[in-house]
Amino acid sequence: MYIHKTNCISAQQTFGNIDLQTLAPAVENKLFAKEPVYEGVPPGMLRRMGRAVRMGVGCALPLVKDQQPDGIIIGTANGGMEDCIKFLNQIMDYEEGMLTPGNFVQSTANATAAQLGLMTANRKYNITHVHKGLAFENAVLDAMMLLKENPGFNLLLEGLDEISTYNYNIDYLDGWYKEDLTANAGLYNVDSKGTMAGEGAAAFWVSDQPERALTKISAVQQLHTEDVAAVSSFLQHFVKFHLPEGTSIDILIAGENGDNRYRHYYEAAYDLFDTATIVRYKHMFGEFGTSAALALWLACQPAFPAHAIKQRTDADPKYTLIYNMYHKNQHGVMLVERL
Amino acid sequence: MSEIVVTGLGVISAVGKNLAENRQALINGDCGITDLSMFPTRYAGLRPCGEIKTDTETLKQQLLAGEKGVTRTSLLALQAFDEAVADAGITPAQLAGSDTALIGASTVGGMCLTDELYHDANKKSDGSEYLAEYDCSSPSLYLQKRYQVGGVINSINTACSSSANAIMYGARLLKHGLCKRVIAGGTDSLAKFTINGFNALHILSPEKCTPFDKNRQGLNLGEGAAFLVLEKREDVGSRKIYAVLKGYGNSNDAFHPSSLSDDGIGPQLAMRQALLEAALAPEAVDFIVTHGTATENNDLVESIAMLQVFGKPPAFISTKAHIGHTLGAAGAMGAVAGILGLYHQEAYPAIHFQDPIEATGLIPLLHYKQQVLKHAMTNSFGFGGNCSSLIFSAL
Repeated sequence: MYIHKTNCISAQQTFGNIDLQTLAPAVENKLFAKEPVYEGVPPGMLRRMGRAVRMGVGCALPLVKDQQPDGIIIGTANGGMEDCIKFLNQIMDYEEGMLTPGNFVQSTANATAAQLGLMTANRKYNITHVHKGLAFENAVLDAMMLLKENPGFNLLLEGLDEISTYNYNIDYLDGWYKEDLTANAGLYNVDSKGTMAGEGAAAFWVSDQPERALTKISAVQQLHTEDVAAVSSFLQHFVKFHLPEGTSIDILIAGENGDNRYRHYYEAAYDLFDTATIVRYKHMFGEFGTSAALALWLACQPAFPAHAIKQRTDADPKYTLIYNMYHKNQHGVMLVERL
Repeated sequence: MSEIVVTGLGVISAVGKNLAENRQALINGDCGITDLSMFPTRYAGLRPCGEIKTDTETLKQQLLAGEKGVTRTSLLALQAFDEAVADAGITPAQLAGSDTALIGASTVGGMCLTDELYHDANKKSDGSEYLAEYDCSSPSLYLQKRYQVGGVINSINTACSSSANAIMYGARLLKHGLCKRVIAGGTDSLAKFTINGFNALHILSPEKCTPFDKNRQGLNLGEGAAFLVLEKREDVGSRKIYAVLKGYGNSNDAFHPSSLSDDGIGPQLAMRQALLEAALAPEAVDFIVTHGTATENNDLVESIAMLQVFGKPPAFISTKAHIGHTLGAAGAMGAVAGILGLYHQEAYPAIHFQDPIEATGLIPLLHYKQQVLKHAMTNSFGFGGNCSSLIFSAL
């Protein structure tokens, strides 16, 4: 599957004039996205959208405004949850009295895919994958299957999530975030449990046409396990099966997130690919279910900022492995080839 | 190319806790819509629902599901999943293999636990045992962990068409050789969240719903779960096959977030795509299990769409009069009804229908019939314009 166009909204300057060199700081352990001025969305519509939908639509719209995709495939772990809980608060506060349905209608996870379909009058394949830390990887797989079934199709593929106050509270109570104020620049050096919350959207125009493509996604796979040996074996087999003979992984983009309880999964990956350039991204974008979408966007960039590089080798950067682990048992990998 | 076949079914709904009970209820025309008796809401008595009259604690005991934090939504999924897997003769070792996929769907997830969610989300507590369970992937994750399902795991939320899309995704994984067997379906339990949400949209009926009737007043919510086991025909051996999954279609109505376009373009496109995929002419379809929610908008639009696609639509019913609108499970519920009809060569009657919609004059099947049925279609149309259509064929 070939990526032709990308767009990204995140806590860093990933939109418009892309500048990754400067690392924007987290605020109170949260990496909120810098939202751009959204073009092509009527202000009235923008106002009615929850933030996740706004970012999702705003990020994808520039990719679809000139050409209709043959499918809209979205992955989101908690898109819509903010509106769900806003509606829930109304239910509780008004003891199930007369409620306005706005939050309820916006609260379905498929709201972004639906809005995009609506705004572009697109009646093609439209789907939303919500499998938490593997929502985006499933979206990628769906897109790859759809392209095999329909040669010549162009698809919009996107991953998005927001830091909703409510989801942050829930995940904080569940012990996923740092308790002490942490600087994102030092995320990997602080030896404590938890990580920092992030949000964003990364959209891709993909097809089976290699001409003028930026990058190729060769393969995607997932594994549910807590066993580090199983993870190591999984990574080895994935790479062995999908890499051409005589090649190796040149770049490893890893989803290490500063949570010292689960570092061992990433350390296993670093051991396996010790001759690769190792890049980390969660100090830039934070942790959320579809962060792998932003890792994929990063894999399409011509260069990585110094602050993201854990170790650098002289390997000619052709084959990139993206490995991400979410909430201790969801592991996803993508093999990406620079063109 | 090997056909995709259904080798196992599992279902729990307001009319039955297993496949046999649900089939009997369809034959009898049983109605599972009642006043809420086990669910704390101010709408108990005002808005009838397809409530499963087994409380959550009892479900936990019956299913030996003592895991921390397991929700009612996940328990219903477990019931249907266990039945489907046993029905297909899948062993625990096979479940744990990397060639077994699980594709679930839910729109409520753990949000049925309104009080706990309210306290956790607003940080008014130290955190309940359900912190990791609120989102829509929690039933799939629960099943994966309980049985160590080893292949592709996914959860889909496209509102009311979620489990139809889950079945489609599962079938495609099989076709692409990405799994050898897939358990696909959906689950949802009753929740203050959905009761209040649909009520705020003024589409909940104060009476038992009457799909396709000119005096219909809206839908009844329901709860339940349904799973299909899908495999390639060449892998089945001597085990039984219920039906072939012949075709499917997914399209978007692109009209409005919560209602369908006047001509039902999205529904039409989904149905036509399924027919194309199945290489069937519209006349070949013998039976349709409709979306049929009994809302003003859906039933009129769905009727128009069926007239456009079929000219003269075949026999059709809505099972939402029996079990209510089970949201994330609805697509799979419809699929089970269609498959049962094909397997037993019988057509189930609609219930609570009196007078047709004037503009379209369509009348659902009113009497149980044993007859030759070759192909059955099931449709699901969701908020956000997500329209899906599945076609099953008798062996």
